[in-house]
This record gives sequence, C-alpha cells and structure tokens, in this order.
Amino acid sequence: MERAVVPWDGPEPLSGPIGVPLVDLLDRVLATGVVISGDLVIAIADVPLVRLSLHALLSSVSERVPAPWADGGPL
Amino acid sequence: MTDARVDLDSDKVGKDLVTLVLTVVELLRQLMERQAIRRIDQGDLTDEQTEEIGTTLMLLEQRMTELCEQHGVRPEDLNLDLGPLGTLLPRD
Repeated sequence: MERAVVPWDGPEPLSGPIGVPLVDLLDRVLATGVVISGDLVIAIADVPLVRLSLHALLSSVSERVPAPWADGGPL
Repeated sequence: MTDARVDLDSDKVGKDLVTLVLTVVELLRQLMERQAIRRIDQGDLTDEQTEEIGTTLMLLEQRMTELCEQHGVRPEDLNLDLGPLGTLLPRD
C-alpha cells in the first residue's frame, strides 16, 4: 500500500499527520487514561547507584478512575 | 514556520523565557479547560461546581491575556510548531 509522504517543511503551515493540536491529543489520551512504567538505574563506572522504578497512572477523574480522596484531597 | 519557535536570543532572553513559561501555562490551561468540559458533560457535578469551574477558567483566561499584554507577547507566539506532530495549540 502506498502512503503519502508527510512533508517536514513547506510553505503551508504544517498540520501534522494526526491533524490534531497536541493539546487536543493530550485531552483524548487523558480521557482514556495511560499507564507509564519504566525502570531507570543510574550508574557511574559500572556501579549502579540509584534505582528509579516508575509506575504512573495519568487519567481524567471519572467513575472508572476516581480521585483517591473523596473530599477533594489534602488541598 | 520557524518564526513560531521559541528562539532564545541572548539579548532578549528574559522575554523569551517569559514566552516559554506562558506557553507551558497556556497548554495546561487549555488542557484543564477541555478536561473540565468532559467532566461537566459526564453530569456528576453540581450546578454550583459547574458555575465555579466556569468562573475560574474565565478568570484564568483573562489573566493570561493580561500577562501576554504586560510582556508584549502575542497570543499566537504561544503556539509552537512541533513539525510533523502538528501544532501545540489549535489555530484560531
């Protein structure tokens, strides 16, 4: 299947292959919710010194993903 | 569209940094605005909460406009061109 090449540069303002501004993209991603996980070890001279283990949930507050505090939290 | 970038110039680095900060704040503001609309559409907020969110977002937008005017930043300066990803904010 032939795919049209997305131009990186041109006289026209770029709209991007997705055609959606990043802020709208983030809005949709948050509406679905994402989990970011990763492991990071910082080492110097092959000696591991710091371990960072990440499990982050990024989502809109909804019935499926309620806020962890019923009263709005320690604001 | 290179003129839409935040170009850090040593002569006017102060103003450019303000532009950068305002860009991030504006992104968050618009994101919160969209999330608030979703939340209101879900219908689990009271009228009072909806009213309060609306007022707060309106004040935030006013404040952003004021800040842009104070620092001589045009609203379109806050919209970054992310190349193949498109733009940061919707074009008006």
